[in-house]
Amino acid sequence: MSDEATPGMVKITIDGREMQVPAGDLLIAAAEKAGTYIPRFCWHSRMKPVGLCRMCLVEVEGPRGTMLTTSCTMQVNDGMVVHTESDVVKKAQEGVLEFLLINHPLDCPVCDKGGECPLQDQTVSFGPGESRFVEEKRHFEKPIPISDLVLLDRERCILCARCTRFSEEISGDPLIEFVERGSGTQVLTFPDEPFASYFSGNTVQICPVGALTATAYRFRARPWDLQAAESTCPHCSVGCRISVQSSQNQVLRFQGVDVDSTNQGWLCDKGRFGFEYLNSPDRLSTPKMAGDDGLQEASWIDALDAAASGLMSIIDEHGPGAVAGIGGARGTNEEAYAFGKFLRSVVGTGHLDAQIGDGLEPRLLAAPADRGLIGDLEKASSILVWGPDLKEELPVLYLRVRRAATELGAKLVVAHPRRTGLDDVATHTLRYRPGAGQDLLRRLAAGEGDAGAALAALKEGPTVVITGLAGLTEGPDLAEAVAAFGRDLPDATVLPVARRSNVFGALDMGVSPALLPGRASAVDDGARATLSGHWGADVPDGSGRDTAGIIEGLEAGAIRAVVLLGADPAVDFPDPARASAALAGAELIVAIDMFESVSTSMATVVFPALGFTETEGTVTNLEGRVQKVSRLLPGPGGARPSWEILEDVATRMGGSIGATSAGVIATEIEKVAPAYAGATWDALNTAFGRDGIVVPTADATQPIEYVPVDRPSAPVQRDLVLHLARVLYDGGTTVQRGLSLAKLAAEPAVYITPQDAHRLGVADGSAVRLSGGNGSAELTARFDDSLTPGAVYLPFNLGISVGSGLEVELEALA
Amino acid sequence: MAWRYLKQVEGFWVVFRQMFKPRVTTPYPKVKRVKPQRFHGRHVLNRYPNGMEKCIGCELCAGVCPARCIYVRGKDNPVDEPVSPGERYGFIYEINMLRCIFCAMCVEACPTEAITMTQLFEMSVQGREDAIYTRSELLMSPDGVVPHPQPQSKFNDLGELTLADGWMRATAAAGRAEYQGIRHWTPTAGAGHRPPEQGQAADGVPETEEESEG
Ligand code: SF4
Ligand code: SF4
Ligand code: SF4
Ligand code: SF4
Ligand code: FES
Repeated sequence: MSDEATPGMVKITIDGREMQVPAGDLLIAAAEKAGTYIPRFCWHSRMKPVGLCRMCLVEVEGPRGTMLTTSCTMQVNDGMVVHTESDVVKKAQEGVLEFLLINHPLDCPVCDKGGECPLQDQTVSFGPGESRFVEEKRHFEKPIPISDLVLLDRERCILCARCTRFSEEISGDPLIEFVERGSGTQVLTFPDEPFASYFSGNTVQICPVGALTATAYRFRARPWDLQAAESTCPHCSVGCRISVQSSQNQVLRFQGVDVDSTNQGWLCDKGRFGFEYLNSPDRLSTPKMAGDDGLQEASWIDALDAAASGLMSIIDEHGPGAVAGIGGARGTNEEAYAFGKFLRSVVGTGHLDAQIGDGLEPRLLAAPADRGLIGDLEKASSILVWGPDLKEELPVLYLRVRRAATELGAKLVVAHPRRTGLDDVATHTLRYRPGAGQDLLRRLAAGEGDAGAALAALKEGPTVVITGLAGLTEGPDLAEAVAAFGRDLPDATVLPVARRSNVFGALDMGVSPALLPGRASAVDDGARATLSGHWGADVPDGSGRDTAGIIEGLEAGAIRAVVLLGADPAVDFPDPARASAALAGAELIVAIDMFESVSTSMATVVFPALGFTETEGTVTNLEGRVQKVSRLLPGPGGARPSWEILEDVATRMGGSIGATSAGVIATEIEKVAPAYAGATWDALNTAFGRDGIVVPTADATQPIEYVPVDRPSAPVQRDLVLHLARVLYDGGTTVQRGLSLAKLAAEPAVYITPQDAHRLGVADGSAVRLSGGNGSAELTARFDDSLTPGAVYLPFNLGISVGSGLEVELEALA
Repeated sequence: MAWRYLKQVEGFWVVFRQMFKPRVTTPYPKVKRVKPQRFHGRHVLNRYPNGMEKCIGCELCAGVCPARCIYVRGKDNPVDEPVSPGERYGFIYEINMLRCIFCAMCVEACPTEAITMTQLFEMSVQGREDAIYTRSELLMSPDGVVPHPQPQSKFNDLGELTLADGWMRATAAAGRAEYQGIRHWTPTAGAGHRPPEQGQAADGVPETEEESEG
């Protein structure tokens, strides 16, 4: 090694080995990167050091002699000489472990952490063989539930404060804290306040002992009988890396995997515990066909024949334009591609959509100009979040924004109709009445009044603008106008977001009337010609209908048959009642799904599909990052991959989509979809590994680059407007079919400002009738002073719907 | 030529001589050889003298088994009627005897001496499925009787089921300091009582063992 230190690096000596490490690193981290593991309990690479457990003691030579010091609180200095294996260090480590174990119970055989426990492992590696303490240990009531998902065994706690620091520093809901003192010190919740955090599961994963355990995993398996595969979380479009762990063909848990680009090791509880639906006994395992009383089990041959002949007779009678397809945003890119190809080339229709009437302009989501990455948040000076409440819809993105605003000091501007999870750390909060967003945007762009300071903050680049649909009663225009505003900021990247897990992948695969695979435009004749060259079939022009159009078409009789791929428009469409009525009028519904749903109950044929962990493929997250999902389990008996079902129907219709395996489809995508050139499974499995590949890569071309347009609209002036927005635990399948999460879904209620309540004679907690554009419901009213007067808030998909119109009426019930 | 036939008679002579030597084989199954004290026969799941199951469903035996023939699943102990002391009990316990190599690693791994081996080795079965012993075959009843899948078979000496190969511990199972370094085995409700082996400290046996004799 040369004597010249590289800039930004310092030279240190660990155990006689000289090395260069980044200046400013903590000694414990620098040593680990250089290959020397220093034992630790309290230090976690994603949190601030506290120096509580003393396990990381090392000897550092200094001007006043060699001294023991905690390596997790010491920064490296040039010329530092460190000893991690000296006799003094060993004695210190043995002493620390002997003391940590004074009160630690001999629970290992029954402890969920046993086998993967840092305390076990480090005691074996660094601890004394025997203890001098024979006294009775401290006793606490064995596990106490501190929330519906997490159990706390205080006897096992070693007081490292990882959990309490996580909840304060990272997730921002400090609901657990140390109480008492001395050997009575314990972690507890506040009286009558459970540890109801959307991120509580992370504390279970980072607890270095078995003090915090998850109810969903308790006593289900031991680490040595788990099989694991790295995959991508299927619950939202952030695309967190996870390790799927199963035993005896049952998924038993998801653990977060630490990658810089997306989740940094964290998961939300919906992602972490939302695997239980996969093991649900309600999973479809045989095809079903409509019979005299509801759906009846049928053989694969009958069901495939019925689907193919049904589709063919409708095409014969009314033309391919009478068939439409909705869905594809819940599976893999390969499934979405097969779906799009089936509809466009075998059926010959251009009516297909992966968004269920709750999305944005597809070209804005798929190929926005100046698209940002989640990682841009790390260097941002200012951030604008104008869209969904990230904590409810994209929870780990919320963590990343929160980190940028607290830890990294970015200025955060949040605009939303009511309080969001990020308001606590925002520099500026802007509120508006649903319908009047354009007005606020105009004021922000002009820097008028209180928006002036926010604009000044946003002008300090680099800026990240996160935009999306703030509420389901608002049109997609506002989000697009925000994106357009963002582009005009001096140094900004734009990150348009939508929630559904693989909606970005599905749009990239062309499941949208406006898009062809690989971010090409469906109105571009050249792109269509190239695609039909690949497919050997005509590609319909870009005049197809989106989901709202398909629902209209069903109502008008223009559309007669619908193919659903993992979609439940009768629940998920912003106006569920309307979608439900429209579907009921369809002549033929072919559904491919994992569960029976409201929509499949109206279907003619339902095929059982394999789902997450049961199929291999790729998914694309909200920044355009392609990642692998892995297959670990066989899935329920008769279920098959969606692409295989579509191929079988296609064959019976006299066509083919060439889907012989997911790998074959992936190869075809790489060839056919321009933006995906280079994103092969091989590359994903090897070179890029955990971080995935952001498409298009440098060698690929992306045919369209969508520049958002600001289409100003007049503000809507109504007495009472509705803010309709999603919450994390809702009535969705993945929540409701899992034991742990189902009970967390909130009671539906309508939220109203105290001023309006006073005007309408409504008391907090009293019964009211809410009437909207399509239906009315009796609900409990709750006060929410974060709304702008004149607005009421109703959580979406909790079983109550009054339509998706902006205007509502509210009356007090006696 | 005659010397050739003489060679054959020599062969008879070997047989003839053998007829007057002492016999070394045993006419099994009428007579059974005394087995070595630590013979590895079929397994048994033990109970504490108070009738509680010793198995806590920790899966350590399953983890250590080189033949991967043990399947255990743990569960929360019912609060009102706990099956075993502590939070967890083994609610599924299966050993596939066709795959077992009788190495007794499971016995060594068990933290509670729940699984031990007996001297019984006759385990012929009529189908593969019968060779998978479940809790109903392995677990002794509270009075210490160990069930046998083929109790009527005349090969069985059910007495062998009460001879447990329990001498495994180098330290006290209860972890109490006064037994540090003393070898002994813990009481089970029925199986597991044997006189100390040579060199084993008889006085190291804790009093509780006496109570369990009855
Ligand atoms: S936390 Fe670790 S050391 Fe403590 S009982 Fe559990 S496995 Fe054993
Ligand atoms: S519960 Fe776990 S993470 Fe929390 S302080 Fe105790 S040992 Fe640390
Ligand atoms: S004796 Fe050996 S092979 Fe048989 S179950 Fe026990 S550990 Fe497995
Ligand atoms: S027999 Fe012993 S090692 Fe096996 S699960 Fe039961 S307690 Fe654990
Ligand atoms: S890891 Fe350094 S004191 Fe805990």
